[in-house]
Parts: sequence; structure tokens; C-alpha cells
Amino acid sequence: MSASGSDLSVRGLATRSGSFQLEGIDLDVGSDEVLVVLGPSGAGKTMLLHTIAGFRQATAGNVRIKGREVTGLAPELRRIGFVFQDAALFPHLTARDNVCFGLRAHRLSSPTKVDELMDRFGVSALADRTPRSLSGGERQRVALARALAFGPEVLLLDEPLSALDQPTREELRSVLQDLLSGLGIPAVHVTHDRDEAFILADKLAVIESGKLRQVGAADRVAAQPADAVVAKMLGWLELGNGHVIDGKVVIGGLAFDAQAHSGDVLVFYRPEDIRLSRDRTEQGLLFRARVQRIVRAVPLSHVALGPLPPITALVLNREFERLTLRPDAEIEVQIPQGSVVVVPDEARTNRPTALETWRPPRLL
Amino acid sequence: MWMLGGLLIAFILLPLVRLAGTSSVTSLTHAAETAAIRDAILLSLQDAAITAGLATLVGVPLAYVLAFRRFRGRSLLQAVVDLPLAVPHTVAGIALLFVFGRTGWIGAPASHLGISFYGSQWGIVAAMLFVSAPFAVNSARVALESIDANLDRAARSLGASPSFAFRHVTLPLAGRGVMTGAVLVYARSISEFGAVVIIAFYPVTAPVEVYNLFLQSGLAQSAAAAVLLLLVSLATFLVLRTLASGWLFAGADRERLR
Repeated sequence: MSASGSDLSVRGLATRSGSFQLEGIDLDVGSDEVLVVLGPSGAGKTMLLHTIAGFRQATAGNVRIKGREVTGLAPELRRIGFVFQDAALFPHLTARDNVCFGLRAHRLSSPTKVDELMDRFGVSALADRTPRSLSGGERQRVALARALAFGPEVLLLDEPLSALDQPTREELRSVLQDLLSGLGIPAVHVTHDRDEAFILADKLAVIESGKLRQVGAADRVAAQPADAVVAKMLGWLELGNGHVIDGKVVIGGLAFDAQAHSGDVLVFYRPEDIRLSRDRTEQGLLFRARVQRIVRAVPLSHVALGPLPPITALVLNREFERLTLRPDAEIEVQIPQGSVVVVPDEARTNRPTALETWRPPRLL
Repeated sequence: MWMLGGLLIAFILLPLVRLAGTSSVTSLTHAAETAAIRDAILLSLQDAAITAGLATLVGVPLAYVLAFRRFRGRSLLQAVVDLPLAVPHTVAGIALLFVFGRTGWIGAPASHLGISFYGSQWGIVAAMLFVSAPFAVNSARVALESIDANLDRAARSLGASPSFAFRHVTLPLAGRGVMTGAVLVYARSISEFGAVVIIAFYPVTAPVEVYNLFLQSGLAQSAAAAVLLLLVSLATFLVLRTLASGWLFAGADRERLR
């Protein structure tokens, strides 16, 4: 993370709404960088964007754009483009007048730029339509053009895809991907959708209950979640909790490398990395399990295995056919080396589970 | 449900239809040619229009505060706005007289400036404003509250100052509600009798004139003036109502929720 290339810098930002508190937010986003803020609903994602944009007062900390302090400024003086979840187009104006609004407010006029942007987002033909007559995807395209027309120095996107249906969402996601990759200004995109986050992010921040849990390069955060919350948000499944002894943690009879952690830890695995086979030929952490439950879905089916430890494997359907999986069948299970992550058990949950039944470790 | 609803509609329409049936074209033209009746109706129209304009002018800022600002005593303020709805209008007239009368808190200094509320058009407007102001404030407030807060945020992020955002986004979107409020104020004002008759018996407004005719000449004589007033106020009300709710603010159509 180069401090020099950070055109949007957020330091110790805090704000509150009733009893909900957002605090200690540190973020750095360079030009041409996309930071995706991932978090469950109610985590404070929108609140964070609103505080950066100036819709909400910060109670502490500061926001800088290219070194310019904007923390106390009114939103109209910050030069931050904002895209809302529901597009928030002005219903009394045509699509084109919506896009022109920022220029009008700045007492500027640049018809070519407006045409160019509307063209770029494929909404030129809709210029004279009112927002009410547009589809969700079209509205969001107009909203993107509107947010960029006045030449903002930062772009904030508040779950712009989550109100759309699946096909439109995927379509607009690739529009966003193209846009963000060549934008040239820092972009912060907020979402609760993991796929969206991985597709769009250069940097990934995970936020929960108003606190920043982890921030860093997207692939690094994805491979090395720092805590249980981040791991769950990023699609890791919990295998169980245990105590580190001699650099190993044993769960359900399986011993895992503690990855330099000590004390009480939680072990997570990636369900799509679990390999199932009929015969024990593969390398890695191997054990034999029984198929408990099968949920067929597209493109991956869920196979719940047991009894110890309870693992869910995500299996491609063609693989599924090959293995002829049936409930109660015995199968060889392999957990590859990089597909397990150990994090500190902050809550020290001590759940009384069958996992605490000690069995002699079967080290490999 | 239909039957009870129908009863109410009949209850509203029956007296009006019966009243309209009592008069002939000749009696109406005769009433319209009577200077006292004509002047009274014109005065009512004029003062109701002034009141509607005034109520909107001072009502919208208050509606804005009630809709968007969160502060202690906000619900108390809202209750004060609604108060005139609960005060009997003759009581309102007497209360107004204490303030706007020749020796009242406002009436006394005003009379030094040569403005008299008692027995003048200003008194009529004051009485009309008192009883009808809640309609202007509430109608505008509801319209403002129904505007998506993100629209104002969007405008501000695009570089609009608060006043630019108000003029180009909030007000156009609330326009229909504001107009509806003005029409309601107008309708309420033109029909006002109780408060007006106490603070300003003269100059005579149309409802007061109808009452006078009723006292002096009886039911038959007052009917013609009453029908005339009914027609004039209904006609203006319907025209204004159509303007306020129809094509004039077509752009303000609320987006349907998904």
C-alpha cells in the first residue's frame, strides 16, 4: 500500500446514529484503484459512504482528497460523485437533464461531455425519457453518467447493483468493471455481495458492526482473512474451534497446522476446494466420511459430510455424476493445504459440540 | 360498505341539490345584479385568494422545518400548527379580536400606522388565515416528507447548494402538495363565517351577506344569494383543484415502489 498514491485518504473516521457507532475507519484509495467495502446489512457501509460524501457529519477523524482536507465541507464542495442503490434520479427531469444536473449546479455547460457519457453507458436513446419509464438497469446507467458528468475527484457507489434482478445485475456489473478499471479517480464501492466484491475490487475492506475488520489487497484478504467475521464474509466455512497444542490444532480427529496462532482458534475451510474421491490416491489432509445430505443446485451442489467433522463440500455437477454420490455412502475427503485458514477465536465461544470428543490425531 | 358510503354521499349532495333547485335563472341574475351580494362575493374571492397566497408563503418554510429538521419540541410545534382545527371559529374570532382589535397587542401598534384590522379587509384575511393555515402547512409538509431523502443528497453531491437543491429538486417535487394546500386554504377561507363575522362584520363577505339576508328577509330571499355563492365557490374550487392535481405537475408523479 503506497501512501504516496493515495488520492482518497480516510483517517480515524467516526460517526454515530443513535446507539450505532461507526469508528476508527482508516482507508487509502489511489487513483485508478477500486476499494470494495464488503459487509453485511446494517454494518455501517452506507453510513461510511455518507460520511465521506458529507451527507453526515463526522464526529472524529478526517477525509482528504488529493491532500485537500474536506472533512468539514458541505457535500457540494467536495467534488465527490455518488451513485445510490435506488439510482435516486430526479423524477421530474428527463434522463438527459439528470445527467446535466451537476454541470448546471456548477454553472457549467458541456453538451459533448454529456453526450459522450450517455453514449458510453448506452443510454443516448433514452435521453428524453423520464426516470419512471426506465428499467432498473437503465436508471443505474443514467445515474452513473450523472455522477461522472461534472468531473468528480472521487466516485462512491452505494450498492448500485443490489436492487437489480440477476441478469441485469451481471450485465451492469461488467459495465462497472469496464468503467472502474479505467476511471482514473479513486472509487469506493460498497456491497454485501461477495462475488461482486471479488470481481470489482483492487482493495478489499471488510466492515462489520461499524468497525473495520480488515483491509488490504483483495487477493490477500481473500486468501488470509484475519478473523472469523472476515472469513465468513468471504465464503469460508467454519470447521470448528479448538486449542493450539504444539503448533497443531485438532478438530474432529483431524490435525491442522496452527499457522503461527496460539490459544483458542477457529478453523475455516473453503467448501469449493474440498475434494471427494472413491479411492485414496490423493495427497493432503485425508479422511473418510459419510455423506449426510445432498442439496442439488446450479452450478455447484452442496454435499454435507459427517459425522466428524461436519464439512460441506461444493461439488460441480459433472463431478457429482462421476462420483455417484448418495446419502449414507462412504467417501474419501481431502482438504488441500491452502484451503484451510486458522484465526483467533476472539469470542472464545466454547460451544459444546461433538467436536470436543477427542480422538487420537491422525497426522499426515 | 357501498351502502354506508352512498348514504354519506347522499347526505352531502342532497341539501346542495335541493338548494340549487330552489332558484331560477332570473332569481340568480337578480341576485348577481344586486350590488351588495356581488360585492360580497367578489370580496370573498379576493380575500380567500390573498389568504391562500399568504398561507403558502409562510406555510411552506414552516412545513420544511417540520418535515426535515429534527429538534426538541417538534411534535409540540406540529400540535400548535393543528390547533386552529380544534378551536371553534367564533372562539378564534374573539381570540383574534384581543390581539388584532384596536387595543390589541398587534392591533394597537398597527392602528398607529393607519392599519385597522377591526372591520377591514385585513381583519378578514387574519381570520381566514388563522382557521385555514394548518391546511397549507400540513399539505406541504406531507408532500415534502414523501420526497426521497436521497434526491436531496444526490443534488448536493452534484454540486448543488442547499438553495439550488431546494429550488430545482425539492420544490418542483413538492409543488403539487403545496398547490393542493393553497387550494384547501382557499376553499376553507371562502367558506369561513364564524371568525370573520366577529373580527370583521364589515366589509361584508359573502357568507356574512347570506346570513344577513337570511335574518332580514328569510329563507327564500337568502337562497338565491346562497346558490350564487355556492356556484362561484364550487367553480373556482374545481378549477384550482384540477390545476393543482392534474397536468400542471405531471413531472411530479411519484415513482411507484417496486
